[in-house]
This record gives sequence, C-alpha cells and structure tokens, in this order.
Amino acid sequence: MVFFLQQLVSGISIGSIYALLAVGYALVYSVYNFTNWAFDAFMVTGAFAAFYGISLYHMPFPAAIAFSIVMTVALAMFVETVAYRPLRAHNAPRLFMMISAMGASLAVVNIANLAFGGSFRKFPEITAGAYRLGGVSVGRMDLFAAGFACVVLGLLWLFLERTRFGLGVRASALDTVTAGLMGVNNNQVALIIFGISGVLSAVAGVFFGAKYAVYPYLGTVTIKAMIGSIIGGIGSLPGAVLGSLLLGIMETMISSYISSVYRDLFSFSILVIMLLFFPSGLMGAKRVVKL
Amino acid sequence: MSRLRSVSSKLIATSLFLGVAALGSAWPWSSSKEIKIGFVAQLTGGDSYIGQAAKLALEDRVKEINAKGGIAGRQVQLITYDSRTQPTEVVAATRRLIENDEVVAVIGPEWTAASIPLGPISEQAKIPVITTTASNVKVTLNNDNSVKPFMFRTCFIDPYQGFALADFAYKDLKKRRAAFIYDVGSAYSMGIMQYFEDAFAKRGGQVVAKEGFQALDTEFRAQLSKVAQSNPDVLVVPVGTYRDIALIAKQADALGLKFQYLGVDGWVNDELLTLAGRELEGAYLSSGLSTADPQFQAYNDQFFKAHNVKATIFAYYALDAMYMLESAITTSVAKVHKVDSVAIKNELENMKNVQVFTSRLTIEPKTHNPHNKPVIIMAIRGAKWNISKTYTPTD
Repeated sequence: MVFFLQQLVSGISIGSIYALLAVGYALVYSVYNFTNWAFDAFMVTGAFAAFYGISLYHMPFPAAIAFSIVMTVALAMFVETVAYRPLRAHNAPRLFMMISAMGASLAVVNIANLAFGGSFRKFPEITAGAYRLGGVSVGRMDLFAAGFACVVLGLLWLFLERTRFGLGVRASALDTVTAGLMGVNNNQVALIIFGISGVLSAVAGVFFGAKYAVYPYLGTVTIKAMIGSIIGGIGSLPGAVLGSLLLGIMETMISSYISSVYRDLFSFSILVIMLLFFPSGLMGAKRVVKL
Repeated sequence: MSRLRSVSSKLIATSLFLGVAALGSAWPWSSSKEIKIGFVAQLTGGDSYIGQAAKLALEDRVKEINAKGGIAGRQVQLITYDSRTQPTEVVAATRRLIENDEVVAVIGPEWTAASIPLGPISEQAKIPVITTTASNVKVTLNNDNSVKPFMFRTCFIDPYQGFALADFAYKDLKKRRAAFIYDVGSAYSMGIMQYFEDAFAKRGGQVVAKEGFQALDTEFRAQLSKVAQSNPDVLVVPVGTYRDIALIAKQADALGLKFQYLGVDGWVNDELLTLAGRELEGAYLSSGLSTADPQFQAYNDQFFKAHNVKATIFAYYALDAMYMLESAITTSVAKVHKVDSVAIKNELENMKNVQVFTSRLTIEPKTHNPHNKPVIIMAIRGAKWNISKTYTPTD
C-alpha cells in the first residue's frame, strides 16, 4: 500500500508540471483550433530567465519568477505577432501556422544552446528535502510546485470568468468569427491568450528547471503535456488538468507495476484505446463549455 | 577589335589560371593545399555538452599546429559538422566530409550507436575514422571478430570497464547484490550491464533487479522505488550522460532512499559534482580519464581562461585522436611522400608508443583498440573526484 501511495504521489507530481503546459495548449486550441508548437521555446526561456536572474543578478525567488514571466510573455507575444498574426491575416491553412511555430521554437532552442551551451545547470535550491507521511515521501519542491500550479490555474480561472477581457476570450473560444463581428478585438484576444500561455510556460519552465535541471532541450517534455491535453479533451481547460494528471499517474504506475522499459508502449496503447471510446477526450464532448 | 583582343586575353588568362590550378590540385605533393580533417560532434541536441568542449579543444590544437608550420609542411583545416546527437546525422555528416570536403580522416562520433554504421562507410571510402568515446567492441570489430580496417578509437572498451567495476564491487566494496538502472536504447549501457553481470556472477555476486529508462527521460522515481524493493547493496547506473545520474541521485534522495552507487565513464563531467555532488557522496565510478588528474591541471586552467568553459574528458579524447593523426600523417608522408588516407590508416594501425595528449599510446593491429588502456576507479568525496584505484589490463 505504501508503495502504491508513493507511486501515486510521484505520478501527481509529474502530472502537475504537464498540467500547466497542457492548459496553455488547451487555451490556444480552444480559440484558434490549432496547437501552438512553440511552447518548448517559451518553457526554455522561462527556465533560463529565472536561472540567470538568480545566479547572475542574485534575484530572490519571487523576483526571478516575475522576471521569467515578463521575458516569456514578451517572447510569446512576439511569436504571436511575428509568426502567427500575418498568417491569420492571410487566412493561411492551420498547418502553415504549425510550421511557422516549429521554426520559431527551433530558433529559440538553438539560440539558447549556442548562447549558453548544452550543459545541465543546477537551479539554485528553493526548498529541499521531503515530508514523510507514514512511509510515503512527498518532496517539498513537488508540493511547492503543485501548490503554485494550483494558484496560477485558479487565477487564470478568475481572469477568464470574472473580467471583461476574460469574457472576450470566452466569446472567441465559443465562436471566433461571431465574437469578432460582435466587437471583440481578435488580435487583442490572441495577444492575451499568448500572454497567458507565456505565464503558464514560464512557471512550468521554472519548476521543471528547479525539479530537474536547466538545459536548452528541457522543452521536450511539452509533447507529454500536449498528449495530456488531448486525453482531457483538447480545448477544455479542466480536461487538460485531468488528462495531464492521468498521464503522469499512468506512466508511474506502468513503470512500477508492469515495466519501465515498456512504459511508453503501454501508456500510449491505453491512450489509443481510451480515445476509441472517448474520441473527443475525457471532457471534450460538450464543446460549448470549453472554458 | 581591341575589345575582342581584350576578351580573348582574359579568356587565355582564365584558362591558364584554371589549368595551373587543376595541375596544382592533381600534383601529388602540393604543399599549398591544406590537410583537411573532419570532426563529427554532438554540438546540438540533448547531449551537446559532449561535443562543445571537444570542438574548442580541437580548434585550439589546429591553431597551434598551423602556427608551428602545420603537419609535414602543410597547414591543417578542421571541418566540423554537428551530429545533432542522431546516428542518421552522423552518417550524413561523415559522407559529406568524405565526398564533398575530401577529408583525409574523420574524428568522432562520441557514441557507439552512431559509430557502428561508419564501419562500411569508412571501408568503402578508405578514410580512417577515429571515434573518441564509443566503447562498445563492435565499433572496431565485425561479428566474426575480424577488424573493421578503417575504424579506430581512443578510449578503452566496455568489457574491461564491466570487469573492473564488477571486480571492484565484489572485492573492494564487498558487495554481493547488485541492481541496475540502465538506458534501454543504448548499446553502451546494455553492454556494460552484460559484462558486469558476467564478471560479478563469476565471482559469486548476484544481480537482483534491472530497471530500464529511455533516453531524455527526466523521471526515475518509479524505477528507484522498484529497485529499492529488491534490497540491493550496490546500485549500478551505466549511463552515457551525467544528467541521468544527477537526476537519479536527486530523486532517490527526495524519496529518502540511500544507495551505494557505482557508475561508468559516461558520468564524468565536473558539472555532475555541482548538480548532485552531495547526493552522490561516496559513489564510485570507472573512467578512462579524469579532469582531476594533476597532469591536466595546467591545460584545464588555460582552457577555462580562453573559453570560460571547463575542459572535459571528451576534449582530452578528441585531442588524443588529433595527436594520433598528427603522428600518422607525419610518418606516412615520410614514407609515401604524399598525404594518403590508406597510408595514414596503416600508420594508425601500427602505432607504437606514440605520445598523445593523455599518455603514450599503442594501437592493437588486430582490434584497433588502444593497447592496455587503464581503467581508473574514482570516488566522489566532498563533491570532488578522488582517484582511488587503477586497473591496467595485462597481456
């Protein structure tokens, strides 16, 4: 039982990082019906900004997170303005946006690699050690990261539900064209969405860097987040959180009880089967309540 | 008329120039032409730290060689391509070096899976390839144990590393129950595990658990919890990059699990000590070289001053390959009076007691491995490497 609980805790901790990114995927998809492939670039920027903020400029952790968010939001808005907006203006097919985003992402990751080098850097310790609850060990950093993720997601929910900008975003998610006709400024909505994606990626990047290490290719984990958002029902924010937690738990359980070697084989086979029964993901069926 | 004359004189001048240039390039002993040496390295991709320091070291060395007048009177040009840490890219880059750039030899790649496909390519093109840290036996040997004529290496081979680790674990550490966390996609990782298991079992030890992971994984908690259930007294982690062991040690620590770690040369990078020096206190690992070796201190300091990055053992191995080529090209030119890749290969094959960057080197003609390359056992103490024992193969 202790072993099972330990795996559950590990799975939730892995899933919570996926969840932050998955919500970003879901948000962009809900409005534009395409997946933003530049998330890894945002995440890397977030991680490096906080890392250098602390190690070079001796910022305290909250300042470093704020710095990281500012840098990442700036990049996300830049990518939206340069890589996506012109394509949208020309009604380019969605596939072109994907290629454009991949280009932006490759550029940022490679610049990071050339500028900072490919080595793995230790993130300055924020909190270390673990709480032990009846034989189950819960890392302080894991708790902190999961708590912070909850706060960020809660704030996002408040923003979407309680503010005029949030209403604009929700209207666009429901029907982008009609919202535009009703006076919602779609370019402004796009900037807001990418800004939010920037915040989420920055937080995910900082915590990923703090939990593991900071290196130019840490963004490869975003693929798992995208899968998490698909399981949950792409476009649905609660679905993205649920899907990501499920993926994290499933990966850990399969590694522990079946085989770590076949982890991806089993995880992804289960996903395919699940999608056969829930073709729009777990919470994607009611498409009208995407946000 | 004068315009026509001017055009025809230009034409004559151009054809004369082209003719001379063509003659020059066909001339067997053209001292003006540079000797081109190729380098295929991991400069981008998840393990780019491996190639980046080596590239800087080779560039420095080429500058030194050229400042001293080159090799056999000719300047040297280093042509570097990025392998992006993918075997297919290694094959493409090597072909490009051979076919387009016409290099006389290739240094790299750094790992087994990328080096094995270069056997037939090097043989067909008759261009020697010196891999730096690809330590699987099949890199230089065919399945029937005949040698791949144009493949060489500067590092030791895995069977001896596996043997040294098993012997050390059993006799020195008095361990009897070994567990593994290994990379399922790496011939290097699986090879060492097999050699360790054979040698450990022969001495009376037992392997109680084997848990795999996939390259670029960042989560090891499931494997760690599972391994802990089998109560090993030593946890062997044969991985090709220090990131993996750093994450394993940190996550084990967070889970409250304590292991006696045993590692391999893939761990060796000074960054590991910063990342997880505390968690790996008391761990042992085998390596061919160590940045802590006093003979490299002056070089390390000078390297850091010049590039603001630390020298690595990957830089040392790449330099060994360059020194081998310097020696082989010099002696082959003295014999055949031209720079010829087959003659260079013959010199590499019969290299005896040549001073390279790290030591004196003899190549075994039947295996193309360095002869009796020692394995150092290092301990991590106080976030520092400490050399604790050296295994030297005997004839």
